[in-house]
Amino acid sequence: MAFSGALTLTDLNDYITPAQACIKPVEQTNKSDAPEVPGAAATEIRIDSSGSYYEVAKDGGAASSSGVSGGKKLETAEISLNDCLACSGCITSAESVLITLQSHTEVLSFLSSNPPPSSPEHKIPVISIAPQSLASLAASLASSSSSPEPLPLEEILHRVSVFCRDTLGFEHVYDTTFARHIALLEHAQEFEERKRAAATGGVDAPRDALPMLASACPGWICYAEKAHPEMLPFISRTKSPQQIMGTLVKEWLAAKWGKRPDQIYHVTVMPCYDKKLEASRQDFFNELFATRDVDCVLTTGEFDRLMRDKAFDLSVPQLSPAPSTDVDADLLPALLTHPGSSSGSYLHTLLAHHVRTSPVPLTLTTKTPRNSDHTDYTLIDPAGAPVFRAATCYGFRNLQNVVRKVARGAGVQAGRGAAGRLARVNVRRKGKEGDAASARAYDYVEVMACPGGCVNGGGQLRRGFGRFA
Amino acid sequence: MDVDTPYKLTAVAELTGHEDRAWNVAWNPTKPLLASCSADKSIRLWTYTPTSSDDPNLSFTLHAAIPTVHTKTVRALAWSPSGTTLASASFDSNIGIWQREGEEDGGEEAAGEWDCVATVEGHETECKSVAWSASGNLLASCSRDKTVWVWEAEPDADFECMGVLMEHTQDVKCVAWHPTEDILASGSYDDTIKLYLDDPSEDWFCFATLTGHTSTVWALAWAPGGRYLASASDDCTIRIWKRVETHKWECVDVLKGHERTVYTISWGVGRPNTKEGEGTVNLGWLASAGGDGRINVWEFEDAPDADAKTPPAHKLIAKMDNAHGVYDINSIAWCPRKGYEDLLATAGDDGSARVWKVVPS
Repeated sequence: MAFSGALTLTDLNDYITPAQACIKPVEQTNKSDAPEVPGAAATEIRIDSSGSYYEVAKDGGAASSSGVSGGKKLETAEISLNDCLACSGCITSAESVLITLQSHTEVLSFLSSNPPPSSPEHKIPVISIAPQSLASLAASLASSSSSPEPLPLEEILHRVSVFCRDTLGFEHVYDTTFARHIALLEHAQEFEERKRAAATGGVDAPRDALPMLASACPGWICYAEKAHPEMLPFISRTKSPQQIMGTLVKEWLAAKWGKRPDQIYHVTVMPCYDKKLEASRQDFFNELFATRDVDCVLTTGEFDRLMRDKAFDLSVPQLSPAPSTDVDADLLPALLTHPGSSSGSYLHTLLAHHVRTSPVPLTLTTKTPRNSDHTDYTLIDPAGAPVFRAATCYGFRNLQNVVRKVARGAGVQAGRGAAGRLARVNVRRKGKEGDAASARAYDYVEVMACPGGCVNGGGQLRRGFGRFA
Repeated sequence: MDVDTPYKLTAVAELTGHEDRAWNVAWNPTKPLLASCSADKSIRLWTYTPTSSDDPNLSFTLHAAIPTVHTKTVRALAWSPSGTTLASASFDSNIGIWQREGEEDGGEEAAGEWDCVATVEGHETECKSVAWSASGNLLASCSRDKTVWVWEAEPDADFECMGVLMEHTQDVKCVAWHPTEDILASGSYDDTIKLYLDDPSEDWFCFATLTGHTSTVWALAWAPGGRYLASASDDCTIRIWKRVETHKWECVDVLKGHERTVYTISWGVGRPNTKEGEGTVNLGWLASAGGDGRINVWEFEDAPDADAKTPPAHKLIAKMDNAHGVYDINSIAWCPRKGYEDLLATAGDDGSARVWKVVPS
């Protein structure tokens, strides 16, 4: 045999460490001033008392030629949060970094250090609350009180607004349903654009691929970017309600108030931890004013803790009006409802859109093959031909199946490396069966990473043992 | 041989050709085919004379060497119960599904090359083991990413993910399906064994965790009737777990007989028990091997008056030291085909697969 009886190490490793080494390279901005001497001695790294790194020649000989303390000072590697998120190596540690960067204590420390409105340094604190978070607070309240009927969201929003304004000092309180409304309109528009591009043979433009997959769930986006980059052309480019709210607050409302984007501090309350990742993306950073559309994201659970820390009792009706929100009502409508799912009603908006714009009456058929987290919706014309095939698909396992189905139907390679090559062979075989449109299993999929969808997000209050446990 | 055993192992074939360590061997349940896989990323298929293991001319010849398109070690193989499909688990995190071109149309003669008809992807890192359920409808896989996945095989070599089980706290080494029911077992570097069931209205869930091993659980083998489960461990022992209630297994025995890690076990039906007339229930033969290079074969039987918690009687009936020279043995498997039940295959760090026959000494 080729190898000796001595122990040989291959790629088997029983020890669990972060899956990959950190991928962030140190950028060499200034190339070595001295031309490289061929065959020069190897160098080593030394650290001085101040913690700076120096590259020095191993024999010490070249030390005199450059640098202060006998070596070349090296750039310090800086790893930003976004670098961390781009790497699947240590998502857990990245998440813990985030949780400290965007926490309720962070919000409190901002509010306490915010100079008074008279000061030019003053930032207007604004808070926007997701309807799923309001629902979670209402449900938690109902389960811990004698009255089992949950309060209407209007009442919860009113009480929360009073708390945010009077106790915390926010100047404006909104819910994110108007932003959702815009997101849904934009979503339908984008679908139409993609459909047109696909029909006119513009499929080779990978940006306009069908099926379109929902993009509002940052957990799904994070997973797709890391594990299934081949899915990215299918993912909708519509901003999520949180980020539309960010744009509304920092661009539109700020202009109405005569302020610059960086003169606003915008907090959102979301059912989901991963919304923190979304808010910190580079896409939503305003370079000109060095400000993010959303400065800090709190989960429903963190917001609940904030109320408890401030001894605010949500079960007590707040009689005082909330003038600031009443005024804001003129600017942004509150608590718009969108029939459909508790995860944003993306699919139902598209269904309604098709029914409304179709020249012939359409019939809807639904099928739930295994569990409520995966339902197929098909709109059929009077001749029995499917006009629009879509699905809601929640949870990690259903998400796997969506990825497989979409990859199969579209003939893109699923996954990485060798597997991708295999998949392509496979797709070629399947290609005989029909044209692209009929090979496609879906036109649209509402994908959410959490089982049960957003209303069951990771940042929500847990019923039964939540609030007062 | 220092111990007098009623049987001995005789070498039938040494199958070479892998360029790196051989990780796994798998007998096709319906056809005369033996598959082996290796860190060299290839799968080798061997055919043997289709008469019986008693034929003195029993011999093995290379049927196909599949380079595969896995980019890393092929760690494990599993044949579907129908014998038409082979699944390969690789350290490149994927599972390959292999079928013989044209086999379904023209039968054996018309069949051509072995093709990868699908890959099943989902694991984040090294896939360690793969297993088909008794019906052939379900495929299970496990990985160093600590998860166990259950897939449903659909027509056209498509697979739908039925469950992602994140129960283990460490690397999952092996998965094994119950021989008659859809019960899945997994063994892990966290020293435990987990058992899973499908809740028809919900997802797959873990209904039992078996603890007792003091180190990694490397391999699992269900007894032919499914009443017992054997587990092999880095603690050098084999534990026998008995089904004491419908959904409850308890450790009833600990077998010692290896000086180093037990990497692999296989539980076969064995040869008809001569003492059957005395009222005992034949439980077949359990073969084990591992880091000490030794193959042990145990015979198991249940006493006629055995109650729910009585351990089965066991006896070491055959033993072979240095079966792969100084090298570790990574895999052992009984041939499941009728007439060949006394054939064992092993795969070792020397890169070879070997075939052994259990004969009276």
